[in-house]
Amino acid sequence: MTAKPDPLIHPITRLSICGLLAAGADWVEFAALRDAAGISDSVLSKQSRVLEDAGYVQVRKGAVGRRPRTWFRLTAEGRQAVEGHLAWLAQLEEAVSASTRDAQQARPLLGDRDQLRRVLPPLLGSS
Amino acid sequence: MRDVARDPAALELLRVQRSRLADRMRLPWWYLAGYAILWALVFAGPFSSRYLPQGVPTWPIFAAAAAVACLMQWGLTRATGIKLPFRNLRYRPGRPVGIAILVVFLAASEAEFLLIRRDLIVAAIVVAALAVAAEMALLQAALRVTRRELRGGGGAA
Repeated sequence: MTAKPDPLIHPITRLSICGLLAAGADWVEFAALRDAAGISDSVLSKQSRVLEDAGYVQVRKGAVGRRPRTWFRLTAEGRQAVEGHLAWLAQLEEAVSASTRDAQQARPLLGDRDQLRRVLPPLLGSS
Repeated sequence: MRDVARDPAALELLRVQRSRLADRMRLPWWYLAGYAILWALVFAGPFSSRYLPQGVPTWPIFAAAAAVACLMQWGLTRATGIKLPFRNLRYRPGRPVGIAILVVFLAASEAEFLLIRRDLIVAAIVVAALAVAAEMALLQAALRVTRRELRGGGGAA
């Protein structure tokens, strides 16, 4: 699996939908996906249609009594794209946390002026 | 497209959402009760050799148990809104629990047969009760594995 960004999955709503479908479940029902992602019915309908058109998501519609039930699953192509995108995001996260760590380690040295005043004159050769 | 400051936050949000999805994976009371009855029937199987007329095959009990288990799995899928893929012992995270379920089943069945043959009926009943309790504990352990998988994102990061 190669870590690479996917412009189709990058918007946060679609990333949430795909990320949840890639979590390990085979099929996830509409209400479960909507509640877990914290989005509205209309947003889920719209974004899932985009993902379905792209061939990333498979949709199965059925009914229990009179209540319609829609189930979603990732296609093989969708799973590959999601895993690559998530790997890319994980790399970014690692890079950001590493740079934050470096900045935090550098700050005390620069921030302690008294220490600098004590250390610098001998180094510069002044009395 | 690259937004270094916000992308890790998106990943963090996804972790929260997956946690929410995993929390939906709760076993309803009827599922637990159904499985307890099912295991009780399975572990009552060895007693049939003593109290039922000879020639009663055990396979219908297992076939009925498998059919009821499938029905309950279907009900659980409807109740939670999450359909899990079929797992066998090749699925590594669930392997210890799967093996433990098999070991408890085989050991308890064998112990029951031996105790019944030696007319230690009370001891056999105790073994059956303990085996049902152990299988129910292992069912909860299997659920914990599933939740951990959903939280962690399975194969994806």
